[in-house]
Amino acid sequence: MTSDTVRAAPRATPGTVPDPPPRSLRQRLGDLPVAIMFVLPATIGFAVFYLWPALRGAYLSLTKFNVLTPPTFIGLENYERLFGDRLFWNALKVTAEYVVLNIVTQTVAAMLLAVLMYRLTKSMVVRGVVLLPYLVANVVVALVWYWMLDFQIGVVNNMIEWLGLDRVAFFGSDWAIPTIAGINTWRHTGYTALLIFAGLQMIPPSVYEAASIDGASEWKTFWRVTLPLLRPVMALVMVLSVIGSFQVFDTIAVTTAGGPINATRVIYFYIYDMAFNRFNFGYAAALSSVLFVLLAGIAYLQLRLSRAGESDLRGS
Amino acid sequence: MGSIRWGRVAGWAVLVVVMLVTLFPFYWMLRTSFSNTRALAGGASDLLPVDFTLGAYRRVLGLSTTAEAIAEGGSSGTVSFWLYLRNSIVVSTVTTLGQVFFSSMAAYAFSRLRWPGRNALFTVFVTALMVPPIFTTLPNFVLVKDLGLLNTYLGIVLPHLLMTPFAVFFLRQFFLGINASVEEAARIDGAGHVRTFFRIVLPMSKGPIATLAILTYITSWNDYFWPLLVGKAENVRVLTVALGIFRSQTPQGSPDWAGLMAATLFAALPIMVLFAVLGRRVIDSIGYTGVK
Amino acid sequence: MKRSLAVAGAAVLLLTGCGTSGSSEPAAAGGAATIDYWLWDVGQQPQYQACADAFHKANPQYTVKITQYGWDDYWNTLTTAFVSGTAPDVFTGHLSRYPEFAAQGQLMPLDDFVAKDKVDLSIYQDGLADLWVTKDGKRYGLPKDFDTVAVIYNTEKLKEAGIKPEEMAELSWNPQDGGTYEKVIAHLTVDKNGKRGDEPGFDKTKVATYGIGSNGSGAGFGQTEWSMYTMSNGWQYGDQNPWPTKFNYADPKFKETIKWFTGLIDKGYMPSLDIVNSGVGMIDAYGAGKYAMVTEGSWNTKTFFSLKDVKSAIAPTPIGPTGKRASLLNGLADNITAGTDNPEASWAWVKFLASPACQEEIVAKEATVFPAIKTATVKAEKAFAEAGIDVKPFTIHVDEKTTHLAPIAEHWADITATMTETMDSIFSFKSDVNALDQANATVNGLFG
Repeated sequence: MTSDTVRAAPRATPGTVPDPPPRSLRQRLGDLPVAIMFVLPATIGFAVFYLWPALRGAYLSLTKFNVLTPPTFIGLENYERLFGDRLFWNALKVTAEYVVLNIVTQTVAAMLLAVLMYRLTKSMVVRGVVLLPYLVANVVVALVWYWMLDFQIGVVNNMIEWLGLDRVAFFGSDWAIPTIAGINTWRHTGYTALLIFAGLQMIPPSVYEAASIDGASEWKTFWRVTLPLLRPVMALVMVLSVIGSFQVFDTIAVTTAGGPINATRVIYFYIYDMAFNRFNFGYAAALSSVLFVLLAGIAYLQLRLSRAGESDLRGS
Repeated sequence: MGSIRWGRVAGWAVLVVVMLVTLFPFYWMLRTSFSNTRALAGGASDLLPVDFTLGAYRRVLGLSTTAEAIAEGGSSGTVSFWLYLRNSIVVSTVTTLGQVFFSSMAAYAFSRLRWPGRNALFTVFVTALMVPPIFTTLPNFVLVKDLGLLNTYLGIVLPHLLMTPFAVFFLRQFFLGINASVEEAARIDGAGHVRTFFRIVLPMSKGPIATLAILTYITSWNDYFWPLLVGKAENVRVLTVALGIFRSQTPQGSPDWAGLMAATLFAALPIMVLFAVLGRRVIDSIGYTGVK
Repeated sequence: MKRSLAVAGAAVLLLTGCGTSGSSEPAAAGGAATIDYWLWDVGQQPQYQACADAFHKANPQYTVKITQYGWDDYWNTLTTAFVSGTAPDVFTGHLSRYPEFAAQGQLMPLDDFVAKDKVDLSIYQDGLADLWVTKDGKRYGLPKDFDTVAVIYNTEKLKEAGIKPEEMAELSWNPQDGGTYEKVIAHLTVDKNGKRGDEPGFDKTKVATYGIGSNGSGAGFGQTEWSMYTMSNGWQYGDQNPWPTKFNYADPKFKETIKWFTGLIDKGYMPSLDIVNSGVGMIDAYGAGKYAMVTEGSWNTKTFFSLKDVKSAIAPTPIGPTGKRASLLNGLADNITAGTDNPEASWAWVKFLASPACQEEIVAKEATVFPAIKTATVKAEKAFAEAGIDVKPFTIHVDEKTTHLAPIAEHWADITATMTETMDSIFSFKSDVNALDQANATVNGLFG
């Protein structure tokens, strides 16, 4: 990948002055000495705890490795196997279904919530409540919902029956993916809403004043003013939630464990199963590498499409 | 104007519904935590606690004897609650301070400074978001062990102390939005980058930084598998690890629902209290931020 | 290079003064040693702590430190510990896991110790000790407990249906019409209108109480799901056990059994796979009165009997076409890790755990599991009886010699993956039992 990811559009990033054509070494280096000082600690952390394991993982994808004995190099064999692996393609399909459902519901709900909070109330209580689900660990959230949605004794199904409707097998083949997407939406909506909310707060009130003087309706203001100004934050939110969503695991491990009949065997669960239950670490590494490339591609597209490097907020 | 008023009513209605959906599972957890696990199945649809008991909380605090605990469908761990609470606070606080500080430094360099390789390095940072934790956990554990840091606070906080890709990415996106003119003004006044960073950028970004700090704190507080691996020893054991015994007990048996819910609420309670105390200040500071 | 960078980075951190309050185990002095022991079942921790105390008393130079991890964390943590060399000295092993660990050289064979100390393997329930010998003839564990399968039923529901407890002990089944066993299940099933499963007008789409509960499709193991039927129909998992080289999932006897069993779902006597998957567990549903009876392993006995609103009793699994009952015999053992610093001490502890001093004097009295030692089993039965639970239906298999050793095979995780998919598909009627032909071929393909 190139630096295009970040500076997708040729236009200048506001806040930073457009780079003048390089003239001297000093100018070409720009703020380099200071920059090094600023990024050094994070870079150390990055190199040690992310880069090195990732490189190691990439190497392991070229090996046969069962975790407990040393890996043996087998070239691209794992990748060849992957293309013929029915379960891998199924996992991709299932994951995509989940991601689309989860992202759409979560983003729309979070946006709505953020705007409502911004417009209606500065109440601490509201903001606290909204964030509450995030305070509970993933696994516990999954357990609680699994229990509330139980077909025979769950409170939700009891209510459904009380309303005179048929009980729903929430984790059966048809409902499992939407249910899991719903559970994770419940946990992350408040969190996402807070991110968007923080973005809304960065928009100067003067912009809205201008819009209102122009007589724009609320709806129009939202689409024409708010959303474009939120672009860097929305890009962040979308990239983060898509990546997070692709890595859904806990909820599935607790509830369906990939079933029924692979209906929820998402890619991450498949990777985990391969690595830790079936000790096929090399193959799991290959799966991860493919997932990595896929995610990087998606993130690239997202950032490119959303021109994440800029907001339309210009210097006054 | 009538239409606006109706808009507000509709808005509030939606907000209330969202709050109810958000809160109901918490009510259910609370109700369950005051129930007797053994009786829960029988009273599955009761809206009030089934066979009311404080037993689950006694179990969580290690106050009940093993026999009592087993009679109510749980098991007794020995829990030194205050010690684990202290450990959790230390770990989460250090992680949050370190991560937010170092990440904001990096984010500043990635958003407000001009230097060759900037965007390339940032891209590499962000792609780290996509590395599955399966791959980082094992090598990191081996590293922490080789450094002799097993069962130390440092070992627990180290992987997230200097940065997370999320934190850097998050702050950079916000720093990008800062109005350049303010910064330029400071520059003209002769302020260096370090000064600009501390005096201008950080204070101006209080809102996002507070948000990030809150999220980091919660994430760190809820972290389970990593502290379980490196910090099982009593003196550094954090709350989530200590309460882990309530999570999965027997391979095929039924979990101790009441104990699990009590443990979950107990683990979340300190954060809620913390935010209730600090929250007003944090929120106020958010309120005064924004770009002028 | 990366490593040195990492070390440097961490060193910087150390110097910058992030406080640590580290503690490391002091090295053992003289013959004294601390044995690090892991287990997953928190319910059994008290009894093994008692064994550890007794062990320390008998061998003051050795101390046992018990660490418990929940089942889900246990294996991850153990794998990580093996990789990093921080594994415990001794840990509770599982049949589905130990062959892989042994194959990768992580476990210490016990043969020399067993020979040296002349451990008598005949004191254990027949066959149990064989489960812990790998294909190459090396022993990795001594049995600590065993389990069998029985029917647990709701006495209230039985009374309402007018069925006598004596009848429950004499049930038989066959793959054609299900025999008296299916009749009882049908009669125990009640729909929302109060119609029983064997009455006209029974609505199988609106069942209030299922005659028999379900725990899922059982994948390739079916220990508590279908093994008691397939094996009382004369079926075996593979050509030999332990260590089969060919599996029999395509056998007509297996197919007809599964066909009959899944038929119970179709008739509305047993919940569908969708319902089971959408439920937190069989015990909770049973406790809520949604199931009149279940087939369950002995390790969960206590959980069922301590349910508040349900009174239970136990009946043996039904007699099958072979004229006999059947139950799998399974059990746990303790493994020693290959990397232990204290092989002698670890062995002393494992030997103690497998001895009457621990199993008969301590574990049996707790009435949670059946200890592996024959004489201790009797004591455990008595302890259960004192707690008001008649566990004879579990142990009857041992007395009548109708136990079958749990299958233990290489590639078990891969077999499970294939069989989960196929059996789930059959149980949800997405494919018929002939799908087992393909699955069996895949499984046997693993054995090249």
